[in-house]
Amino acid sequence: MGLPDSSQDLSTEMEVDAFRRIFPLRFFERHLSESLRPDARPLGKARDTIVNPGLVSTADGSALAKIGSTTMLAAIRMEVMTPSTDSPDEGCIALEFHMPPICSPTVRPGRPADAAPVISKRLTDTILSSGMIDLKELCLVSGKAAWMGYLDIYCLNADGALFDAALLSAVAAFSNLEIPVVALNDNGRIVAISGGKDEDNASIIEKKAVNKEKRKLTLKNIPFSLTCILHKNYILADPTTEEESIMDTLVTVVLDASDQLVSLYKSGGTVLAYSSAVKSCVELARKRAKELKQILGEMDID
Amino acid sequence: MEYVNPEGLRLDGRRFNEMRQIVAEVGVVSKADGSAVFEMGNTKVIAAVYGPREIQNKSLQKKNDHALVLCEYSMAQFSTGDRRRQKFDRRSTELSLVIRQTMEACILTELLPHSQIDIFLQVLQADGGTRSACINAATLALADAGIPMRDLAVSCSAGYLNSTPLLDLNYVEDSAGGADVTVGILPKLDKVTLLQMDAKLPMETFETVFALASEGCKAIAERIREVLQENTKQLEYRRAA
Repeated sequence: MGLPDSSQDLSTEMEVDAFRRIFPLRFFERHLSESLRPDARPLGKARDTIVNPGLVSTADGSALAKIGSTTMLAAIRMEVMTPSTDSPDEGCIALEFHMPPICSPTVRPGRPADAAPVISKRLTDTILSSGMIDLKELCLVSGKAAWMGYLDIYCLNADGALFDAALLSAVAAFSNLEIPVVALNDNGRIVAISGGKDEDNASIIEKKAVNKEKRKLTLKNIPFSLTCILHKNYILADPTTEEESIMDTLVTVVLDASDQLVSLYKSGGTVLAYSSAVKSCVELARKRAKELKQILGEMDID
Repeated sequence: MEYVNPEGLRLDGRRFNEMRQIVAEVGVVSKADGSAVFEMGNTKVIAAVYGPREIQNKSLQKKNDHALVLCEYSMAQFSTGDRRRQKFDRRSTELSLVIRQTMEACILTELLPHSQIDIFLQVLQADGGTRSACINAATLALADAGIPMRDLAVSCSAGYLNSTPLLDLNYVEDSAGGADVTVGILPKLDKVTLLQMDAKLPMETFETVFALASEGCKAIAERIREVLQENTKQLEYRRAA
């Protein structure tokens, strides 16, 4: 043996779990040199992804997205509001991302997680700039009434790649959304029409319905994202919390269904990325976008 | 409004002593030491337990040789039918305190000194009986985390409408203005740990409603025991394999 490196000596005597905790970086690098990660994934592969729409019956649209163990629940509630004077034909979307203390041992009650408002803002920017939703579709009566959609995303289990899972759940919730039926009543106000009572509502619906039936939004340019970690000259797609805590350089690429770049995000980190690394990330994101598109497509058919 | 029709059926077709459907599962949040989902009809709650771990805020520690139990109850913005809720309103604070005291009575805190046990409850859908669902979910999550307890803490609610005691009220029945009695018991020890009631009731009626709620609690305790035993069997298979 006679190796000068002390951790090498210990690694032959120590249990795997102990080595993983005490020398995490060396543990991962041992795996990376074989082009594998501890959960046996190849470097460029994302974890198993599941999307389940329509779980929350009190919301107008909802979806649960799971990437590996990371779980996000998104739900949308629609309320009527008066549009602003400079855009009288447009509705509005208010997005909020919550990390309740159940999701991770590092989130303390009473003190919001550091990552939550950052992800909240990035999600809002990405969804609005991708042009997925045409705000004019949310208009009811020009200048007087429009829909405000409150999208709340709750992280139920935080195991890395929070932005990806949150974006996926938001997109799935929007495609599950059914806008409630409303009509204009005599006072000029919008009222909701409940399903049950037929005779009263039928006449209202015929005369003054502003929204005849529960309709869905048309989604164009759906954004799909992939977060990667850069470490030396390795690129790891879809990191877990453990990987994120050891290697700190994260790059998130968001593409839309027609392979156009919607957003690119790299906020510092020890590794400086050459353009070749960024291009590889975009390539990995392109493959991932195809996978996600298929998963969303299967969800819609159900 | 008729909450119980002449044939004895309630608004959702249940009889006076029928509970809503229960779905319970442990181990749903992988990052937590213990976690559980508990659904009573349309009320869905997730509980996550972190602990025992090091005390994070020493000023909260009152008894040195007992574990500190913290509890936070919060409702998701989309959990109720009408308006969005403020995140930390008074009701959430009251419920956090009530649930904390209920669980503290049942955890063997003297076995875990100088440590902290966090119980977090997130209500995803609220349709009446959220406090009972939270206590049941917390019990399952604590058992999943392996925290020693005197007994399972189970809870159920019952009310009195149209001169009939009704078990496990949903939101519509709860907001009808009749009495709502929530009972939390430790079934094996046969002790009451939580008892809350609002509105007025004559004493005999109260005793009937209380007895009905206790019956409901015992049924839930059976169900929780089944879920935990099934979970233990699964762990055993995995370990043996």
